[in-house]
Amino acid sequence: MEPERPIAPSTLSVKDLPWQILWDLEKCTLCGKCTAVCPVNAIELGVFRKRILEPPAEITLETATAFKSYYGIRQKTDPAYRCVGCAMCTMVCPNDAIVPCRTDESDKLKFHVDQGGQPRRRGGRRNMPGGVLDRLKFIRISMLTDPALDAGRHEFELRTLLGRVLPPEENLKFLRINGWIPPVREIYPLIIGAMSFGALSPTMWEGLQMGVAYLNEELKMPVRICTGEGGCPPRLLRSRFLKYVILQIASGYFGWDEIIHAIPEMKEDPCAIEIKYGQGAKPGDGGLLMWYKVNKLIAAIRGVPTGVNLPSPPTHQTKYSIEESVAKMIQSMYMAWGFRVPVYPKISGTSTALAVLNNLTRNPYAAGLAIDGEDGGTGAAYNVSMNHMGHPIASNIRDSYLTLVQVGMQNQLPLLAGGGIGKNGNLAANAAALIMLGASGVQIGKYVMQAAAGCLGSESDRCNICNIGLCPKGITSQDPRLYRRLDAEQVAQRLVDLYLSFDTELKKIVAPLGRSTSLPIGMSDALGIDDPNIAERLKIKYVV
Amino acid sequence: MDNQQADKNKTPRVISGHFGGKRVESRVLEEQIQDAVSQGQRSFEIQAYGQHGIGGRLWCAGAEPVQVKISGHPGQRVGSMGFPNTWVEVLGPASDDVGWLNAGAEVVIHGNAGNGCANAMAQGRVSIAGNIGARGMTMTKHNPRFAPPELWVLGSAGDYFGEFMAGGIAVVCGHEAQNPENVLGYRPFVGMVGGKVFFRGPQTGYSQADAKLIPIGDADWDWLTENLKAFLQRIDRSQLLKGFCDKAQWQLLAARSAQEKVSSPMRSMTSFQSDVWEKELGRGGLIGDLTRLDRTPIPLITNSFLRRFVPVWENRKYAAPCEATCPTGIPVQERWRLIREGRVDEAVDLALGYTPFPASVCGYLCPNLCMQSCTRQISALAPVDVTQLGQASLQAKLPDLPPESDKKIAIIGGGPAGISVAWQLRQAGHSVTIYEVAKRLGGKITRQIPESRIPKEVITEEMRRIEKVIPRINLQQPLGADDITRLKEDFDYVVIATGAQKPRRLPIPGNQRAVTASDFLESAKADKAKVGKHVVIIGAGNVGCDAAAEAHRLGARKITLLDIQEPLSFGKERQAAEAVGAEFKWPVATQKITTTGVKLTSGEELPADTVIVSIGDVPDLDFIPASVRTEKDFVKVNENYQTSDMQIFAIGDVVRPGLLTEAIGSGRIVARTICDMIEGKRPAFVRRDMIDRQRVTLEYFDPRITEFADLDHCGSQCSSCGACRDCGICVAVCPQAAISRKALENNSYEYVVDENLCIGCGFCAGACPCGVWDLVENTPIE
Repeated sequence: MEPERPIAPSTLSVKDLPWQILWDLEKCTLCGKCTAVCPVNAIELGVFRKRILEPPAEITLETATAFKSYYGIRQKTDPAYRCVGCAMCTMVCPNDAIVPCRTDESDKLKFHVDQGGQPRRRGGRRNMPGGVLDRLKFIRISMLTDPALDAGRHEFELRTLLGRVLPPEENLKFLRINGWIPPVREIYPLIIGAMSFGALSPTMWEGLQMGVAYLNEELKMPVRICTGEGGCPPRLLRSRFLKYVILQIASGYFGWDEIIHAIPEMKEDPCAIEIKYGQGAKPGDGGLLMWYKVNKLIAAIRGVPTGVNLPSPPTHQTKYSIEESVAKMIQSMYMAWGFRVPVYPKISGTSTALAVLNNLTRNPYAAGLAIDGEDGGTGAAYNVSMNHMGHPIASNIRDSYLTLVQVGMQNQLPLLAGGGIGKNGNLAANAAALIMLGASGVQIGKYVMQAAAGCLGSESDRCNICNIGLCPKGITSQDPRLYRRLDAEQVAQRLVDLYLSFDTELKKIVAPLGRSTSLPIGMSDALGIDDPNIAERLKIKYVV
Repeated sequence: MDNQQADKNKTPRVISGHFGGKRVESRVLEEQIQDAVSQGQRSFEIQAYGQHGIGGRLWCAGAEPVQVKISGHPGQRVGSMGFPNTWVEVLGPASDDVGWLNAGAEVVIHGNAGNGCANAMAQGRVSIAGNIGARGMTMTKHNPRFAPPELWVLGSAGDYFGEFMAGGIAVVCGHEAQNPENVLGYRPFVGMVGGKVFFRGPQTGYSQADAKLIPIGDADWDWLTENLKAFLQRIDRSQLLKGFCDKAQWQLLAARSAQEKVSSPMRSMTSFQSDVWEKELGRGGLIGDLTRLDRTPIPLITNSFLRRFVPVWENRKYAAPCEATCPTGIPVQERWRLIREGRVDEAVDLALGYTPFPASVCGYLCPNLCMQSCTRQISALAPVDVTQLGQASLQAKLPDLPPESDKKIAIIGGGPAGISVAWQLRQAGHSVTIYEVAKRLGGKITRQIPESRIPKEVITEEMRRIEKVIPRINLQQPLGADDITRLKEDFDYVVIATGAQKPRRLPIPGNQRAVTASDFLESAKADKAKVGKHVVIIGAGNVGCDAAAEAHRLGARKITLLDIQEPLSFGKERQAAEAVGAEFKWPVATQKITTTGVKLTSGEELPADTVIVSIGDVPDLDFIPASVRTEKDFVKVNENYQTSDMQIFAIGDVVRPGLLTEAIGSGRIVARTICDMIEGKRPAFVRRDMIDRQRVTLEYFDPRITEFADLDHCGSQCSSCGACRDCGICVAVCPQAAISRKALENNSYEYVVDENLCIGCGFCAGACPCGVWDLVENTPIE
């Protein structure tokens, strides 16, 4: 006979789970919406038995005993069906009768998510709220010293340069010898970082692209977006909107044949080419697009058959050294567009960033260096990579900038910072802090998903199921039943809102510095922090 | 104050800002003026020498008017913080911040004015007979207690005019403007929230977000023309009036209201998508060429093909655990259904389609694996009592037998397995002949099993029924290998069901002193056995337990069962042995059997009058023809109990030792296989997969029911795993009213889902007591 509840090592109770569904019998109307919407089938209709004992107030009389059944919502405890805390149940509940609550202690599930010997994989980013970026303060407030500007009244040209900015004499020499000079783009400093078509749903991808086009064409904000490694829809490649797009090439080379086929038919050059060597969310690891997300559409864009796993290797397979990688890739990409398109590499935050940077300084083509810090997000990565690997962006960008200063090239080779910018909602403050530490621009991804599409994921490990194609908001799903929950037009509109408000906030930060036409790149005397060690490390002011 | 003094006070007092070859400090000049006013002086002529703030703050005169005429070069902030009683006139140009924080003074400048003119003015009027510098009319207010402030400019305004203007009226006449192309300067009216501005002449842009052009109404025009006349008089330029009175030259600009500012002047995204985005990319946007799938937004809760999950009514797709674990394969839950429907006879008769021994085995001898596996057990509920149904099956009535076909099957062995296969084949219409070596049919059931376990009449009754079905029973027919070969020629198929007759013997000294359990039980059943007071039984399995019970019946007082390992005995047999006080000793090994007892390898000696060896039986394979392969001590068969000789099958204990129900079940499988082969079909005895017990809902049952009063009570408590009880709970539970019961022909029915109502919540699957409803993923959309 099977016991009522077989106890296996991984038998968990609701208490052991990271999220507990609180359900109210009184309020519940048993409408079925919560179980219908739950992305992971963590809840189901439960039949409960209730015993009713009615002892009379007279001991000689018999106690009445009866059972009745009732229905309610039951949370499953099988690790395969664990609640992920997305709270879609709460969203659809007409009576506010159900809500997932984070457990009050470290959950036990984490010891059992390796069933079958497969360590946990997930989406999202490092499960660690907070961070040094939020602690940086802008301490230089000009009132009666520098010309104090008014963010609301003054005109600002908040632009940054992407591309190799050679000194004039070198440019002339370059032109004389080569017949061209390195291309430089004047762009908005808040760049939408690499999120592939495949990692993102079609509606999300289109919404972002459309929003970017709107920002450029209606609001004259030269915002740029990186495709990520998943190819680029042929129509976009052949449209004028391509100039707002940074094409990414990564170690999987997905979709590049389609890009090459489109080059002769391109109306516009892309903004730039980003060569991905690393990603902050999963340093040293590649893409992990799983077969169930590779439907007809994704397959067409990536140039692969449907239903296959699409892992990208951690490294570019035929590049054996920094020199070779940088030289080969950068040169080839320049050649493809007749030396008209800037090409730059992106690496994950690492203690070896300076070695890459040094190499780039000696390469007159290199258009910049993007560094993606440990707090970067992803659609799919091993939990261990996400939580424990990578380098914080602040000191990485600072060291890189100061190295450029040392060799006198801080105005020549732009640094782009990414990873956790706006993690706690402070987008403009984090971006401005990184710019003052030395970044020419910043790349954001997760923030865009949260602000433009309502991504529910959090660093308290809420949701974070981007990798399994069941995104309840339709952001990272390839299932029309899910991605049609997202309206591309509304995503575009929210992206516009996000940029406009970011623009105002950035102005509020830079106006007191007296800056209106150039970003305060590396203006670290405006930064302070209440921790002497961090201040010393970042070479900024210690303020208390 | 007499009139003379009053006149004197109205006679302008001349104060020079230059004294003793030096410029008088602004503070000193201010003190001189304030002193004079406080002494009653009401008119001044100031010869300014760059002093600041002249003409302001003259409130100590109260309501009496004070006139300040300024010649020379006044410094900044002429008339600042001006009081309503004050009239300030500068005969030439003025510096910055004329009328700053003006709270009511009339200020007239007969020339140009610098930056910040009228900045933060709240009342009063500033008139400029020329152009003004940057940031004029900025931060002006209109306090509802007073008339709005006015700024009159004959020429043009400088840059950033009217920033954060919050009230008042400005008039810019554009006469001899500094920049004739733009009379309002660069980026005027940023942050403007109130007031209005009349202007004459061209402008090159203003903050559209904050201000808007409005038509000049009649009242506005009347006000403007009337006050223009007064303004031009104040600055002595009345001759210009005629040229200024062309309404077409004037425009009026007013602040947008807060509500108007909210409404964005930006293009809607809908318009952008259709007129810009899709115009460039083509219909369907980015991927319109790659997919035709609809991408329009859908709600979170959907139905029809947009549901993520779909309920499926999987009635009888899976076998109930009772049926799945019954080696005979009796659909027990089906019998309880018939009971619930009041069809008791059918429930009873149904068993005969599966077993010739529904009463003996199900009712008495079987360990009832069906009950052991009953889903109710996972929730610690008492399993439905199948023995009641088994015992009732004694009255089961046979259906009419079909005529015999020309297909002949010989069955060697008339024990439970042989009877089972013969029973099935005869009911299927084939000719069967049983060859039995003993005098009676029935094998262990009739010969060995103690009567304490089953009443004699039950066996007798069932054997009588069996004999009615099986026409040819040849008793006392021992067969050799040659006979089998002959049978193969005479019959289409041969089934070996000879059981395990040969007791295993202990290879120890004195084993000839022991009696085998089968011999003992057989003689005990015939009441011929004799036992002493002390009985030692070597081998404590179920047969050993039977022997213990029988030994006790026959007079033994001290019974010990030995085993080399933990005894495998269980169930009724074990309980019966324990009930008679038998002692179980294990793990022990016997060394020898002596005249007085059993000596163990441990040296211990157990006294025994009778020693019974019960360590299992093996088949007697001497008669097996060479074409039938054996393995170890048993006949080797495939999953259909076919031997290596395609024509010969083997079932029951000759294949492997097992329960009665297993022997009966193997007979059923062989019968089915033979029928298939006769019909020329590939033999495929398929049993349905067992249902996942977790699908069954037991919360509908009373856990305090520990025994069942009768068949009806049993039937009511069966959870009908995997088979619909037709209870209609799903219909009631479905929040969308999507499920309905559809009557079909032959009194049958099905439950169907209206996909246009169903949202895929799975409530039906959650509530179904039988686990019939399942929730499966909807077909992928691609």
